[in-house]
Amino acid sequence: MNNKKPKGSYMIEEERKPSMVSPIVAAILSAIVPGLGQILARAYKRGIVLFASFITIAGLLIWRVIATAKYDVGFFNKLTKSFRLEPMILILVILVFILWIWTISDAYKHAAQEDHITLGVLFLVIVIFFFLGWQIGGIAPAELISNIPDSAPLLGQVLWPWDAAIHYPKEIVTTAIEIQIPCTDELPVSEIPDEGSYISADPLCGELAELGGQPGSSIQIHGYGLIPNLETELWWKDQLSNDFRQRQGGEYITVITDENGDFEIEIFMPYALIPAGHLAQGYVIWEFQTRQIASVGEWTYSDELKLTTEKMIETIFIGMMATFFGIILAIPVSFLAARNLMSANGFTIAIYYFVRTILNIIRSIEPLIWALIFVIVVGLGPFAGIMALTVHSIAALGKLYSESIESIDSGQIEAIQATGANWVQTVMFAVVPQIIPPFVSFTIYRWDINIRMSTIVGMVGGGGIGFLLVQWIRLFEYRAAGLAVWFITVTVALLDYVSAEIRKNYV
Amino acid sequence: MLEIRNLTKVYDDGTVALKNVSFTVAEGEFLIIIGLSGSGKSTLLRCINRLIDPTEGEILWNGVDIVKLEGDDLRKARRKIGMIFQHFNLIKRSSVLNNVLAGRLGYTSSKQSLFGRFSKKDIERAYKSMERLGITDQAKKRADELSGGQQQRVGIARALMQEPELILADEPVASLDPVLAHSILHRLETLNKEDNLTIICSLHYLDLVQKYSTRVIGLSYGEIVYEGSQKDIQAMTDEQFKEIYGEEAIRVGGGLEGDLTQVEGGAA
Ligand SMILES: Nc1ncnc2c1ncn2[C@@H]1O[C@H](COP(=O)(O)OP(=O)(O)OP(=O)(O)O)[C@@H](O)[C@H]1O
Ligand SMILES: [Mg+2]
Repeated sequence: MNNKKPKGSYMIEEERKPSMVSPIVAAILSAIVPGLGQILARAYKRGIVLFASFITIAGLLIWRVIATAKYDVGFFNKLTKSFRLEPMILILVILVFILWIWTISDAYKHAAQEDHITLGVLFLVIVIFFFLGWQIGGIAPAELISNIPDSAPLLGQVLWPWDAAIHYPKEIVTTAIEIQIPCTDELPVSEIPDEGSYISADPLCGELAELGGQPGSSIQIHGYGLIPNLETELWWKDQLSNDFRQRQGGEYITVITDENGDFEIEIFMPYALIPAGHLAQGYVIWEFQTRQIASVGEWTYSDELKLTTEKMIETIFIGMMATFFGIILAIPVSFLAARNLMSANGFTIAIYYFVRTILNIIRSIEPLIWALIFVIVVGLGPFAGIMALTVHSIAALGKLYSESIESIDSGQIEAIQATGANWVQTVMFAVVPQIIPPFVSFTIYRWDINIRMSTIVGMVGGGGIGFLLVQWIRLFEYRAAGLAVWFITVTVALLDYVSAEIRKNYV
Repeated sequence: MLEIRNLTKVYDDGTVALKNVSFTVAEGEFLIIIGLSGSGKSTLLRCINRLIDPTEGEILWNGVDIVKLEGDDLRKARRKIGMIFQHFNLIKRSSVLNNVLAGRLGYTSSKQSLFGRFSKKDIERAYKSMERLGITDQAKKRADELSGGQQQRVGIARALMQEPELILADEPVASLDPVLAHSILHRLETLNKEDNLTIICSLHYLDLVQKYSTRVIGLSYGEIVYEGSQKDIQAMTDEQFKEIYGEEAIRVGGGLEGDLTQVEGGAA
């Protein structure tokens, strides 16, 4: 091809280099090895792209078929099964077939030097990759909607978690009466207390039900002065202090007290767990109880809220300490990474390149990865998070600082040097005033980033609220997780605002 | 007082900025250096106080070769040589007072400078120096809030703080309008006459050269191509000036001398 011709002109060019093979041969070759025909017809790039695409698409498609139909034996079985499970695979197979045909005809056209050859076949490759991506990514837009009924309540808990912020202390209030089993001549005496709640029973004894035999005898129970208008559970406590709830017709029963705290109910004695015939004294005493769950005392903040607050504070301080350490270490490093300060001789230039390279490497490793590294080195907890963010801050601030050093006005330095000032004086008078404003600005910016990142490094064990959030999500405690989300959002928004204000007013 | 011998400067990139330059400056001279842009004026001035290290040659200053000085000795020599810049080179974010005080750094210990402290005497000296240049009112302002003419006067006040014997002025009026140019050069002339300060100044304008110089050196491609006394300069026509200087030569515009006092009053 003539080099002087504009790029891409070969499509309409008349004197192309002749194909090395005849159109038929090119088509057959491309049918066996897609792209080979094009290569031999001297459409090298197109041939190579088609070949590479075919190999990749085929590999990925086979993988998807095998992964979809894991348990079927034989490739054909797998294929048909995967068509049923994932119709997208069927579409893909059809598309690949079209691509194959198209490649063959494309090879023929190239070898025959036809004029109108389009990029359509390459476009089809892109379409196939799009559908492959769709299948591999498990993209299912319908799930966004179909899952709403299930996810809405949980999302609601996350969005409005404040129920979990408050805790009402609860207590079980019990009132009891002794019942003798079975009835004898000497019945227990029940005393009516002067004040408070009590239960009366009529009679004060009864016969237990027998399995498959006679039912339990009936007792009329009256409760007086319990907590009013409250659901009340009915329990038994046998002579061995086993607790179990009263059932009637197979269901647990509850009563609701009236406005005076009174109730009335007829119960039937339960089954005996221990045969009555073994009774030593001839009778046993059971206790019949009412249990009410009552709020006692004032509400308090929940443990979740306390923990969230504590961890939020920890998170802010992780970010702050990392910023402090970052500043302290980044300043000396930035001097070494400033070209204008380090261009004195070969040795300093070597240091400059070395420091720059190290900074770039450190910066390119995400804080999340640094957190994993430091969790291994120093164990779970805030220290690992601080270390991770410190390292990343040094690299990020070191670069920003050194760039602001590089942009300082050398005229001011010259002027100070010309007065006979020494190195320290030159730095204090000509360098420091020029770099303080950008340093302050970059530092606040970094502080902002560090606080956001400290929740992220927390998720992999770097302390702070991130760890808590992940734990609660794993335990499906969506309300508590919602608390953490709220705290993080509000804190970050607040700091965002504050740092923007400071930067606006200072610089 | 100052004797330059065979001064040559070749920059790292191979540019020959000065070629075998030799001349002497007597005490009390107002020497003006003219030359095209790129002819080496700034290089020459910066070599004298060693902001640039010359490649070869000697700079004898009261009998001492500045080129050989290092460390403290160099700084001691520098503090006797004030410098004024085209772009003023003030510390923009610092106050005028601090900028003027900076001229005293050569006499101050590092320890004091770390905390930005100066002695009472130095502060008094700074106020005197500002008064002389009519900028006392601006003492607390930030340097970059001042007008160009005021900034250059801060630059001169700073140089004066060094109690210099020599002042190097690298195109001190190139960023100023003609009125202010006269004002600034008039100040330098006063220092030259009253304090017997030696001044080496690079300039572009023929009328300024004629009015203020006691001697002129012309540079072209790093070589001295012209040397003339005050008389020679006065006799020079624009055409002659252009010959050594090139087409860039221009007049600032005459007839301003009479208004100088008024101008300064207005600028202050
Ligand atoms: N740091 C440097 N590195 C390399 N070459 C330089 C450097 N500084 C100046 N030069 C070159 O040296 C020559 C003289 O420069 P110099 O600044 O001394 O000229 P000048 O007469 O002051 O010009 P102007 O009137 O534009 O200020 C020029 O060719 C310039 O490009
Ligand atoms: Mg210059």
